[in-house]
Amino acid sequence: MKTLVKLEITRTLRNRKFMFFSVMYPAILFMIVSLSFKKDTAAGTTGLTAVAYLMTAMAAFGAMTAVLMGNAERIAREREKGWVRQLRLTALPGRGYVTAKIASAATVSLPSIVIVLVLGATVKGVHLAAWQWIGIGVATWAGSLVFAALGVAIGYLATADAARPISMIFYFGLAALGGLWVPLYTFPHWLQTTAGYLPAGPYAALGRSIELGDAPHAKDVTVLVVYLLLFAGAAAWLYRKDTRKA
Amino acid sequence: MTAPAAKTGTGTRPSATGENAAPAAPVVAFTGVDKSFGPVKAVADLSLTLYPGETVALLGPNGAGKSTALDLLLGLKNPDHGTVRVFGQTPAQAIAAGRVGAMLQTGGLMEEVTVRELVGLACDLHPRRYPVADVLAAAGISDIHDRKVNKLSGGQEQRVRFALATAGANDLIVLDEPTTGMDVSARQAFWSTMRAQVDQGRTVLFATHYLEEADAIADRVLVLHQGRLIADGTAAEIKARAGARRITFDLDGAIDLERLGALPHLVGLDVTGPTVRIRSDDADATMHAVYGLGLYPRNLEVAGLGLEQAFLAITDAATAEEAGNR
Repeated sequence: MKTLVKLEITRTLRNRKFMFFSVMYPAILFMIVSLSFKKDTAAGTTGLTAVAYLMTAMAAFGAMTAVLMGNAERIAREREKGWVRQLRLTALPGRGYVTAKIASAATVSLPSIVIVLVLGATVKGVHLAAWQWIGIGVATWAGSLVFAALGVAIGYLATADAARPISMIFYFGLAALGGLWVPLYTFPHWLQTTAGYLPAGPYAALGRSIELGDAPHAKDVTVLVVYLLLFAGAAAWLYRKDTRKA
Repeated sequence: MTAPAAKTGTGTRPSATGENAAPAAPVVAFTGVDKSFGPVKAVADLSLTLYPGETVALLGPNGAGKSTALDLLLGLKNPDHGTVRVFGQTPAQAIAAGRVGAMLQTGGLMEEVTVRELVGLACDLHPRRYPVADVLAAAGISDIHDRKVNKLSGGQEQRVRFALATAGANDLIVLDEPTTGMDVSARQAFWSTMRAQVDQGRTVLFATHYLEEADAIADRVLVLHQGRLIADGTAAEIKARAGARRITFDLDGAIDLERLGALPHLVGLDVTGPTVRIRSDDADATMHAVYGLGLYPRNLEVAGLGLEQAFLAITDAATAEEAGNR
């Protein structure tokens, strides 16, 4: 299984266009969106500057892009081409393929997170303690697993042609409702409450708590864990269903 | 559960494999297997047994249920009824134990990796793996090991699939139309590679469209038709069953179908205008009787039946029977 994980990561790294797009996209977006805020503009009542708020949002958004868009379509395509069938004829356990896919997705998401944080620290002058930088990076990276699992589930649910639009809908919908583009504090109250129970809101909140010098809130972590179990469970169920009809 | 006592269908065990007295434990045992897709019965009440060391060809027209049967054998599909056992285990267990290698017709390959990386992966995943270099050499793809998998010709791709199926010490190798997309010389090269596997004592089951391959390579032939096993024997036995000889001649005047139909050793009879076509399993005896009837056949031709014609004869007969039962 280690070989498969390694090979999946190698493949992803070889796909330069995909890597470049996934890594640069959130960084560029962060630079553009943060232009409209002064360095010391406060992000509503969050206690953070708008730029710091945007930085964690864009890091989260970048990681989401990498794991959701990459996984779903690739898995759907490999299923259609019969590679998954071929892989089922090896001694690889069923989880192996999913593990490898999540690992390769995480390979892309890490640099996209790091680059946004580096831009925040250097160009945008966000000041945080060392443990906070590391904490934000790790939390954002770990949280991206939720969306990687969602990507796997979509990959098993949809045909190759449908996988892209379906993951787009989830991706834009979740990102917008989670306040990754437009800050959450500008939302009406009821929408802020709803966003707290959708995966992307709590995801970006992980990094924000650390920016404020706190540990991530238990509620956010719980919501994310529930979604992770939900998406991974759906992926496992769809995988078995796929086995029956494939 | 164990099903070693499964019936052998209409099977005649080939003695060519040289086992004696005690029958060896079966490699594959299908017992009363049904599989439907909606209203379509892809496989119906299929029972068959494969024994160690056999090379078995699976024949059947398109839609006969060959691919479904192979999918059931490999655990890619589950039967609606009946059981499938491979080395006395479920297909998934047998695969996890590294006893089965398979080359699928629709088996896509991982892209953006080299041939060596992909074959290396198959070796790594195999519990009883061979060294990558050996597998590449045996499949005849050492020279293209650093090529990208998505830049191969059809024949090269088939060889890579073959390498995936032989990455370790499998006891059973399953091939679904392995030579599709190969030219004649590639096909010959492929089968000589395959023979090396057979010589190592492996059991080989292959589905094919090329009947000459079945004739030349298999020591047992299974014929599937509309999901049923309609023939099981050596290529020679199948030919004999279909009527080994084809006799053609013309007759003057009115043709008495009833008298012709009563000829000895007759397997098939077809009359078009003055031309009589007979399939017979003993052409000498049949022709002797034709002369005995006082007939004077002109333009007489007697020809041996290839497996191809035998196959058509058997499947046509099965279709007619099926229609009669309705």
